[in-house]
Amino acid sequence: MTLAVEASQLVKHYSGRGGVVEAVRGVDLRVSAGEVFGFLGPNGAGKSTTVRMLTTLMTITSGSAPVAGVDVATEPDAARRKIGVALQEAGLDPRQTGRELLVLQARLFGSSHAKALERAGELLELVDLVEAADRRIKGYSGGMKRRLDLASALVHEPEVLFLDEPTTGLDPASRLTVWDELRRINERGTTIFLTTQYLEEADQLCERLAIIDDGRIVSEGTPTQLKSELRQRRSLDHEPTLDEVFLDLTGRTRERVAGDVQEVQA
Amino acid sequence: MSQTALLGQRAIRESLRTPEALLPTLFIPLFFLVVNVGQAGKIFPSDSTPFLKGQGYAAFQLPSSLLLAASFGSAALYLVEDIEGGYFDKLRAAPVSRTALVLGRLAAEAVKTLAITVVMVAIALPFGITIASGPLGFLLLLALTASWGVVYSGFMQVIALKTRSAAATNSGSLVFFPLLFLTPNFVPRDMLTRPMEIAATFNPVTYIMEGMRSLILEDFNWAAIGRGFAVVAVSGLVMVILNVRLIRRYD
Repeated sequence: MTLAVEASQLVKHYSGRGGVVEAVRGVDLRVSAGEVFGFLGPNGAGKSTTVRMLTTLMTITSGSAPVAGVDVATEPDAARRKIGVALQEAGLDPRQTGRELLVLQARLFGSSHAKALERAGELLELVDLVEAADRRIKGYSGGMKRRLDLASALVHEPEVLFLDEPTTGLDPASRLTVWDELRRINERGTTIFLTTQYLEEADQLCERLAIIDDGRIVSEGTPTQLKSELRQRRSLDHEPTLDEVFLDLTGRTRERVAGDVQEVQA
Repeated sequence: MSQTALLGQRAIRESLRTPEALLPTLFIPLFFLVVNVGQAGKIFPSDSTPFLKGQGYAAFQLPSSLLLAASFGSAALYLVEDIEGGYFDKLRAAPVSRTALVLGRLAAEAVKTLAITVVMVAIALPFGITIASGPLGFLLLLALTASWGVVYSGFMQVIALKTRSAAATNSGSLVFFPLLFLTPNFVPRDMLTRPMEIAATFNPVTYIMEGMRSLILEDFNWAAIGRGFAVVAVSGLVMVILNVRLIRRYD
């Protein structure tokens, strides 16, 4: 089986004001090519830090992380050609139009102007933004921005697409649209590595999940496996939800979660 | 087209689409020119003030205003906006040379400063200011002013990359005011009081101002022009090195 992501003992330490912060403490991840992989965890668990390391945006304290067969630490530029990234904040330039942004992004990946224009047109169609293509991004809605951000991560047809909470802040309709787009992108063969705080999203989209807490992977498997494991271990008389799995694995009570992680609702 | 040119083009488009940010760059230096000349012009009549070399006091003051116009460092303000908005990470996640990421903005700043200098000189000409060193001198004046624009934007980009804060970056533009006033801003250096003369001698902006002033007031004074260009070359190199170093270590 070809691996799209193969992180071994990934560690990230920061120097903070209160001393060294161990944000990620030895994460191992194996994601198969073509898979939709979900990476879950409470706020501050190390999800975004892991994604930033895997996408060359952050240095790795120790460990190795080949993505699409390329080590992100030693060959960052080669890795960047194989990965697409859409982070929590839709990273867009509000003064450009949607089309200009995609053309620039494609050109930065080495396309000629004509090819970049053609690719921008394809992507605008894919994310249903043809009508808004020549309007400035500052006038786009949150959902439109998120879709454009997705499109900009796809300009170079990446092998692996990293999405850090791609639907946070979106209304339910926009969230469903993004889900549809992710399914379409995955059907074309792109591996998707997705972090989310919406467990329903993980249940709907992901073939396999890993749950991280306090910088360590606490469980990994298909949603069905994780639920069955909890059911057996706790001798439950009902099929648990992914929310229950999450709360059990991260040692959080619902009362604590209500204070800590607003997004997680049972 | 190189990545620097692509990113520079984008930065120019950004400026053109934000005229409200561009206008103060022109208006405030012109305001300073009018006020300074209005307040001190009578003290220095052109026919009895040898350092004016036959021109009015506005010609002597023009370099200060050009330097001020070149010191708004808007490239850094847009950079910090990119950082805060997440677009900077989008660019960093692309296989773009880290050097191009900083040089693109600086190249755009040079173009913008050139345009502003042309407009300011064009506004100044009807008020009796002439460029005594002629067309070549005018080109050198443009180059010197634009180079200073790049240096100062480079300095502010260092603050932006280091702090990632709009407030801190904004405050970087205020640093220019002490630098501007510790120069032979109102009179030549040899007419300053001793403490001010010493401060001006250690201030690199002094040499750029004197170079620009020589191009406006006299035929080519290569020593003054050379010192001005040497200062922008050295400080420009330092700023580019610092920018590239910071962006390579950006985590």
